[in-house]
This record gives sequence, C-alpha cells and structure tokens, in this order.
Amino acid sequence: MRRMVLALLSLLAVSVAGAQDDPLKVAFIYVGPVGDYGFSYAHDLGRQALQEHFGDRIETVYVESVPEPEVEPFIDQLIADGADVIFGTSFGFGDGMLAAAQRYPDVIFGWGTGIARAPNVLTYMADFYQVYYLNGLVAAALSDSGTLGYVAAFPIPEVKRHIDAFALGAREVDPEAEVVVRWLYSWFDPAGAKEASEALMAAGADVLAFTEDTPTVIQTAAERGYPSFSHYASMVEFSPETVVSGQIVHWETIYIDIVENILDGTYTSTNLEDVDYFWLLEQGAVEMGAAQGVPIANGFVDELTWFEIDHPELGATNAYDLVMTRLEQMSESRETFDPFAGPLLDRNGAEVYPAGYLPSIGDLVGLEYAVPGVVGPWDNEPR
Amino acid sequence: MIAGFRLEQRGSIGPLRTWALSLGAIVVAMVLTGVLFAAFGVAPLAAFATLVDRTILDARGLSEVVRRAIPLMLAGVGLTLAFRARFWNIGAEGQLLIGGVAASGVALFSGLPGPLLLPAMFLAGFAAGAAWGLGPALLKVRLGVNEIITTLMLNYVAIYLVRWLINGPWKGRSLSGFAYSDVFEPAAWLPTIGTTRLHWPTLTLAIAAAVFVAWLLTKTRFGFEVRMMGESPDAARYAGVDSFRTTLVLVLVSAGAAGLAGVGEVAGIHHRLVDPASLSVGYGYTAIIVALLARRDPLAALVTAAFLGWVAASGDVMQVALRLPSQITGVTQGLVLLCIIGVEPFLRYRLVRVPRNAGNGPDGVRPVPKGVQ
Amino acid sequence: MDVGAVFVVTTLARALAFSTPLLWAALGEIVAERAGVVNLGVEGMMIVGALAGFVVAQSSGDPWLGLAAAAATGAVAGALHAFFAVIVRADMYVSGLALTIFGLGLSGLIGRGWVGRPLDRSMEFVSLPLLSQLPLVGPRLFQGQYLLTWLGLLAALMLWFVLHHTRLGLVTRTVGENPAAADAAGVRVVQVRFFAVVFGGLMAGVAGGFLSLAYRPSWGQGMTNGLGWIALAMAIFALWDPLRAVLAALLFGTFFTLSFSLQDRFAPQLLTMMPYLFTILALTLTAFRKGGRAFGAPEALGQPYTRGER
Repeated sequence: MRRMVLALLSLLAVSVAGAQDDPLKVAFIYVGPVGDYGFSYAHDLGRQALQEHFGDRIETVYVESVPEPEVEPFIDQLIADGADVIFGTSFGFGDGMLAAAQRYPDVIFGWGTGIARAPNVLTYMADFYQVYYLNGLVAAALSDSGTLGYVAAFPIPEVKRHIDAFALGAREVDPEAEVVVRWLYSWFDPAGAKEASEALMAAGADVLAFTEDTPTVIQTAAERGYPSFSHYASMVEFSPETVVSGQIVHWETIYIDIVENILDGTYTSTNLEDVDYFWLLEQGAVEMGAAQGVPIANGFVDELTWFEIDHPELGATNAYDLVMTRLEQMSESRETFDPFAGPLLDRNGAEVYPAGYLPSIGDLVGLEYAVPGVVGPWDNEPR
Repeated sequence: MIAGFRLEQRGSIGPLRTWALSLGAIVVAMVLTGVLFAAFGVAPLAAFATLVDRTILDARGLSEVVRRAIPLMLAGVGLTLAFRARFWNIGAEGQLLIGGVAASGVALFSGLPGPLLLPAMFLAGFAAGAAWGLGPALLKVRLGVNEIITTLMLNYVAIYLVRWLINGPWKGRSLSGFAYSDVFEPAAWLPTIGTTRLHWPTLTLAIAAAVFVAWLLTKTRFGFEVRMMGESPDAARYAGVDSFRTTLVLVLVSAGAAGLAGVGEVAGIHHRLVDPASLSVGYGYTAIIVALLARRDPLAALVTAAFLGWVAASGDVMQVALRLPSQITGVTQGLVLLCIIGVEPFLRYRLVRVPRNAGNGPDGVRPVPKGVQ
Repeated sequence: MDVGAVFVVTTLARALAFSTPLLWAALGEIVAERAGVVNLGVEGMMIVGALAGFVVAQSSGDPWLGLAAAAATGAVAGALHAFFAVIVRADMYVSGLALTIFGLGLSGLIGRGWVGRPLDRSMEFVSLPLLSQLPLVGPRLFQGQYLLTWLGLLAALMLWFVLHHTRLGLVTRTVGENPAAADAAGVRVVQVRFFAVVFGGLMAGVAGGFLSLAYRPSWGQGMTNGLGWIALAMAIFALWDPLRAVLAALLFGTFFTLSFSLQDRFAPQLLTMMPYLFTILALTLTAFRKGGRAFGAPEALGQPYTRGER
C-alpha cells in the first residue's frame, strides 16, 4: 500500500514538474527554403541562436517554402502540434496570420515585416537603411567611374528606402555619384540578377549592391573584378577578393527579446496591439559587413584610408574614418545621426523633409520618393 | 519481349477493373512513400495514420483538401472536354489567371451594386478565360497552328500581364506599396463554410460543371461530335461534322471553366489580385494531370481532383507533423503519378503464355493483319 | 565608337550567354519530339543535371567532369521518361510532368547539403582565336563567353546536319511522322524513340550543368526557375528545326536582356512578354503563307506507337 502511494505521488510530482517545465513551443514559418542562403536562411540562423539562448525553456520548429496563400493551413497544423508562439516571416503571410489569429486568440503571433497588429499579433522588422547608407559611403570611395549599380527586387518602400540610403551615402563622399537601379520584380531570380548586373556594368557601374535572394550579383561583378556588397547573409566566400562589405541581419536580437518578454509574462495574447519592432544598428539587429565582425574587408581598408575627404561637418578626414564615425553615431541612436534627417529634397527638387526634421519610423515605412543621384525607373514616384 | 509470353491487347476495359488497378497503383505509391518515410526515420504506419487523421478525419484539414481541389476540379473538367477532341489545351494556367484578372477588374472598378458583383465577376471570368482560349482555337482551326504552343505561350503572357497590372496601373493604395491590388469590398468576397477557407459557391459550380460537361458529352449531338473528332477525325469529317464550330465551342467552354477557377481563387481566397505565383500554385498544369488521370471523364475528374488536392494537403502535414524536409512533397507527388501511369499496360494489355515457336514480331506483339481493326 | 553599335553588340553578347541553356535543352527536346515523343520533364531533368554537375565538380575540382555527370544524370532521367512513354506506352504528358515534379523535389532534397558554397573551380570564359581580334565585335562578342555557348551553336549545326542529311536523321523523322511506315521498313521504332528521348534528357542535363557550373556557379533549390519550360516552348517555336532553335534562343535572350537594359524606357514585364507574343505572331504569319495546313509538327507527335494499332 505504501509503495503504491509513493509511486502515485512520484508520478504526480513528475507530471506536475513536467507541466511546469513544459517548454514554450515556438514555430517559424519561412516563405523560402532555408537553403536559399538569403532571407529565410537568415531567419533560421536567428531561430537557432534563439534556441541556443533559451535552451530547455523553449522548443523551436520551422516549416519552409510555404507559399503565401497556404500559410493558414500550416498555422493550423503547427497549433495542432502544440505551438504557443508563431512567427511568420514574410509580408505576404499577413492576411492568413491575422485571420488565424482571430481563430486562435490564445496563441501569440509575430508578423515579420508586417504592418498591422492585433491583440495577439505583434510586428517586427530589422531594417538595413543605415547599413546601406554606410555601404554607399564605401561604394563611392571605391568607384572609379562614379556610377554605382543597384539590382533591386520590388519597388516597395523597404527597397526604395535602402536604395535612397545607399545613394545618400554615396553622394556624401562624391557629390556627383549616380546610383543606377534595375528592377527584377522578384525576390528570387538568379538569371535576372545576372543579366541586370550585366546591364548595369554595361551602363558604367563598377561597384554593385543588390536586394535579391542569391549571391549571383556578387559572382557576376567578380567576373570583372568589381567590388560588391553582400546582402542579408554572409556571402563573402562567394568572392573573398571583391566583396567589400554588406548588410547582415541579426534576427535573434529581436526573437530573443520577444521570447524573453513572453516568458516573463510581459507579452500576453491580449496586449500586443502596440508592439512594433523597427530595430536598427542601435539595438544590434543589423550589422555592417560581409562577414560577422568585419565591417570592411581587410583588403579594402587601405584604399579607403587613402581616400581623402574634406567633409563639411567633420573637416578633413578620409573615407574609412568617415564610415567608422557614422557607424558609431548611428549605433548610438537615430538622433545622433540619420541620413534621412532634413533638409532633404527628392530627385525632382521637391522638399521632402524641412531642415531640422527627423523622419519618424512611420515616415520611413511609407517612403516612396527617390533622392538625388538615383537614376532609373521608379514606380509610384510622387510628383 | 520475355520469351514464352506475349502482350495481347485487351478488348474494352470494364470500369471496375480501371478503378481497381488505379487503386492498386495508389497502394504501390503509398508503399514507396512509406519506404521514403522510413529512410528519414519516420515510422511509415504512424505517419500515414497522422496524415489520414489530419487531412480526412479533421474537419478543418478536410476543408483544406477540398479547397485545393476546387480550382483543379473546374479547370480539370474543362480540360476533359478539350482533350476529348484532342485539343491539347496546355493554357489552363493562363486562362485561370485571366479569369482572375477579369473578376478583379469587375470587383475593383465596375461600380456595380453589391448583390450583382459576384455573379458579374463569374461571368466576366468565364468570358475572359474563354477569350484567352479563343485565339489559339481560331489559329488551329483556320491555320492549323499547333495549339500546344499557342496556349503555352499565352500562359506566359498572362503571367506578365498580371505582374504588370499589380505593379503598375492596378497597384493598391492601401498596402504601403506592396505589389497587390486593393482589397475587394466585402460584397465581392465569396462566402466560406464556417471559418474555413472553403468557398462553397465555387465548389457547387465545379460539381455543376462536371455534370454539365458529362451530359454534354454523352447526351447531346455536340458531345457525340466532340467524341468522334477525338477518336476518329477522318470519320468525323466524312460524317460532315463541322469541326470548326465544334472546336471553337468546346475550347470556349474549356477555357471558360479555367477562368471560373481563377474567379474562385481571387474572390474566395485572396480577395485581391496578387502575384501569379500566389494566385495559382500551378493549378493549370496540375489540372492537366487531373484530366488525364480521369481518362478524360468529367465526373471522374472530380475524384482525381480531390485526390490530387489531398496529395497536396498531405504535403503540408508531412512538413509540420512528420518533420520531413519540404522537398519531400515533390518526390512523393511524382512517385504517385508515375505509379498511376505505370499501371497503364496492365489495363491495356495482358500477358498471355505462348509456345516458343509461334510466329511473333520482334516486339513480342503479334502483328494484326492489315484490314483488321 | 558608335554608341548604338556598341549597344547592339553588347545585347547580342548577353543574349548569347543567357540563351545557352535554353538552346541545349531545346535541341534535345527537338530530337525527342521529332521522334514523336513529347517530354514535359525538361525542367526536372535540367535541375537534376544541375545538381549532379555541381556535386561532382565540387567534389572532384573539375567542372568538365561535373558536366559529364550532368549529362549522364539527364540521360538517366530521360531513360525514365522513355521507359514510361515509349516502352510502357503510358500517358507521356503525365509521365513528363511527373518527372518534373519529382526532379524538382528530389534535387531540392539531395541538394540540401550543398547550398551556400560557390563552386571552387567553375568554367571559365574563353576567347575565340582570330574572331576576338575583330574591331568592335571582337572583345565584346567573341571574348567573355563560355565554351558551352559556342559548343551549343556547334551542336545545333551538327544536329541540323544529322537530322536532314543522314540516314539516322531520316529514320528519326520518319518514326515521328509515320511510325507504321517506318516499322514496315524494318526500323525498330521503340528503340529509336527510346534513344531519342534519352538524348533529349542528356541535353537537358547539359543545360542544367551550364547553369550550376558556368552561368551561376553554385547550387540553389529551384535554380532553373522555369527555364526548362521556356526551352520546351522554344523547341516548338523553332518548328522542330535546330537552326531555327538558335534564332529562337537568341530572340528570347535578346528580349530578356533588353528588359533590363531598356528598363528606363519600357516596363520590364511588357518586354519580357514579347518573345511569347512574338512566337504566336510568327507562327500565325508562317501559317498564312503556307496556306492553312497543319505544318511542321511531326504527324505522330504525342501518340504512343504500338505495332498493329491504327
């Protein structure tokens, strides 16, 4: 009898302990394959870092290559499997996520790159515009022709913001610099990226940057020995000699912050209506460089140091120091320095922001204009 | 052939045998899939149990299976009609997209009052899809231009047309610059069953279309002409069938059906015009498989469409519940299809024992003397 | 230097490069369809060829060995299609489509471990002797292309010759036009069709290998991105003639590269649409001149052949 009671008690204890230690189940939905070495890959790196950070307290799973209209059935499956938190990493998942969020009010949803929230749906974004600005500084200093090339995906505000930042940086070093843009109208189009790069180089560009999900632009530029900037993931191995710098994302900073808040009860499934992350250099969500910890590839540091600039604000300096100074300033806060701070005119001469105005996050999220120096087609340009 | 046997062509095949063998093929495919599962460390029987549980025994899961089948049904039924007359309509994908475009246009710009919107959208979608098939049909009957290529080309034209529209003139104002059209007003949304995404009006339409086409083929003179054109074009010509008019009508119906599928997607799922790759996950091409597996029978197409819808939905479950890599779905789908067509010889031929010294041709198939049909 | 002339030459050079995989795959498809078999599995065969080529080249350090592997893999895939379509005489359209779906999935599955590294030794540019010394066109057109591009043009020429001026070509064409007659004349129809389809698969494999070994030396899931389907369309656009296939390939390539270089003047989607509309237009005009008969397509295209049937 006593043994039975003990057995029962221990069973009870184990099950109670088990219930308390039930790890938080966090699911990730990717729009592309993890092997794309770009967008979804970067999110998965963030997931892995998240798992490592919290160890046994959470359990992460992911599904990949989910077509945007199919996100709802996947959410159903994930929740049937016990997911407590679901991160949808693509803008196109929004409709499905919001609809599912209404059906599962106890589950917490995170809409990456999203624009609308709900009591159980927060949004988050890690934006590169500051890093693109820094890349632009470097690009103009390295360019002989003064023409920079940009292979862009879709003319949406996010990409436009990046191109504009790139051009603003370029013009700060070289007031005559031009950023020629070619659009792919696709996130994944290696053949298009190749041909667009060729067209840009034929138009005189000798440094290339891009927003596309493959390293094709890097490889194409490397065929002529032209420098290029890595995008999203660390692509330096694709051409160690010509990749100068780039943009690297650290989604884990955001994921860790969100999960931390969930675990300690700050975020619940009813109070997320105003939770919106738009994280930048300051929060460590993004990084300049083509490889972690290396903002500018060693082979290019000297050339940048020898490039002298007579800067209106900082006096006599060189390109390398300028880049590092700006990096430091922006890592401190947006108020210290922001490339979009007014006065700012668009490329048609119209005033976008008056002097002394620091654009809000909302302004930046809806950005449609092109800054001086940007050359090429620009859908929905404000008149 | 193997010594001692030869293949002899069967006479007519009973439908029972057809279904039995097709079922057998599916069983073989399941076995192979099970082997694949095992190779990834997933217990096959438990895996299938989970699949059935999530996709058939679960109401929401089942709704997803049916939902995926709807465009396949509509387009597939249309294709059975076209294929019967040997008009190889490879353009269902483009016709579907154009149907979606027309419906979107009506929803966004026509200014029609609420109750008229959905019927108008379906009419417009049918007309647009039919028009998209009209070109290739005319070119074939008037000039003999191969329809495989004309319909295939128009698929691409449709894709780029949609992309141009959503990035340009029809770009939505309400979505911070992303490439979609504006969202339709609620009157242009198709009702769904409960909180699922099953837009039942389109489903009803699909079943009605299947019945209609079946009736057309078996009970009308038009259907008789279509079947004759397909089975024996010479006899049809001899009998005075106006292949010009017949082809035109059947292509219009076939392409229009695909257009209806596009309307269903746009009005039932997305409620706006979206990127072609999101609007149609290859429905037009899968519909070809639907029609061919159904052996060009419109009612059977409903079944094959449901089956293929189930295969697609199972893919989702495989990724989530079974933790299999996402690419497994392509592998299993391909396997299933190859198994199904692999039973063809068992339907058409049977193995007959033959004494070694009989006079056979090198193929092992006994030549039929000229004049015998 | 005349800017217009430079533009034309540069466009042609880019069109040549882009069209290379299309040409190789289309040539293979032409042979298969000339023998009467439609192969909708081109896309799947291209991508498994691309993966095989990459894996072997990366492991061995030799891109040409990789190309051989790509060709062999494509041939095996072609043999699978031939088995179903020619020997089993099952539905060839479904067989091809199934192989495309299967190939895309299988390559993605196996390729998981090979993503993210560039090819250590990829194919290099070649300069054609003599021709690259020409003014204007020399450096722009005859340097900076891959060897496979020039080989593709050569292959087109050779195929044209074989198809129209050799017995093998005649046999192949007859098998596609009138298999019963060929059979009566002693031709082993099944064998000819089988090897024609295997050849088609081999060429598709080479096309895929070009992508992963030269054009974009790396591996990525789905990297063919629809090129196989375009090659399929091109084969028919070229009216099953290898030399016209070269023109067709250049046409597609030209519009594709123009959609980027002329982007500031024309909406790119409208430009990319052009080759497809052009195809229909060209077919229509040619049909007008030929007086309205069905032409060009091998008569028995798409019909499995069994002795004694019809």
